[in-house]
Amino acid sequence: MAGASPTPQTEGRRSLDAEINLVPFIDLLSVCICFLLMTAVWLQIGAVQVKQSHGTAAASGAVGPYELEFKFTSPTAFQVAIKKGNKTVKSAAIKHDDLGVSLQELDTQLTTWMDALRKGVKNPEEAKNLISAAMVTPKTGVPYGSLVAAMDVLRDHEIANLGVVPVREGN
Amino acid sequence: MSVSTSPTLKPSGFEHHLTGRGKKRGGKKGMVTGLMLTPMVDMFSLLVIFLLQCMSTSPEMLVINKDVTLPSASTGKEIKDAPVLAITSDGVFMDQEAVGTVVEVLANPTRLMNRLSDLRKRWVKSNPSGEFPGEITLQAHKDVSSTTISQIMAMLPSQHYGSIQLAVVAGSSYPRKKI
Repeated sequence: MAGASPTPQTEGRRSLDAEINLVPFIDLLSVCICFLLMTAVWLQIGAVQVKQSHGTAAASGAVGPYELEFKFTSPTAFQVAIKKGNKTVKSAAIKHDDLGVSLQELDTQLTTWMDALRKGVKNPEEAKNLISAAMVTPKTGVPYGSLVAAMDVLRDHEIANLGVVPVREGN
Repeated sequence: MSVSTSPTLKPSGFEHHLTGRGKKRGGKKGMVTGLMLTPMVDMFSLLVIFLLQCMSTSPEMLVINKDVTLPSASTGKEIKDAPVLAITSDGVFMDQEAVGTVVEVLANPTRLMNRLSDLRKRWVKSNPSGEFPGEITLQAHKDVSSTTISQIMAMLPSQHYGSIQLAVVAGSSYPRKKI
């Protein structure tokens, strides 16, 4: 850092040390700080990746033996099922008055199911990607925010490929 | 900022310049106020460096439509640069340009399809050797009906946009309560 105190002169010679005028320097730094604080982006925006496979080959080819089906039956209730081929392995209907409670139960339910399914798998890589894809079915009256919240819980359980089933208004 | 107030301070150098002002003529000691500039400048410099560092690592800037309140999610990943499709309760916007109302787009999606097709063609023209990634950012208001969103999302793969990024605000998606 620039020294603000010049060395005292001893033999009458002019010292080469120059004083830095700190006042404009501080002004400049203050303006810089104000500008950076005002232009900084405080809202952190992320993205939840969804693969729509209808009509294209966009769906990822991740391989896992199971698939998950998630259907909203009301704004705070849903049905969830894990399938292997056409056979339903696990299923549950979750219904509470509050969406937060329902989603928390879904989280607990998925943890229990995944632990049970992992017990039968010897390959650790396969155990990591047990569920290859999850399809989420919305319903009339369910806001988009709830749909994203449900997908957030599914993504939390390492389900990489999420898809949304198109549903017409009124269904 | 550190401001030291000491009547017995022995000033030297630059501090003398500051402390000398406080002394009264006639031998009386005045209240001397010394402002420690060096640590202040150090602190300011560090703050500027920190803020510049924060800005340089911030992810892709996303222009959010004023009528859109994004839902929150805890598993959101870094957003990639892609065309932005915004859906509010009133209208549909493609890269800030109005395409029509939600009802109009659902009834006749030709305008949206043409816009998506134009964007894809432009991308292919500017990247002749690359494969079209098919990525699109969906920026929808959290209270819009999920069925509306699902119908619009189903239209996108027909124009080769199969990878959809749902823009979210980082945070918990639901309030955690005891069951």
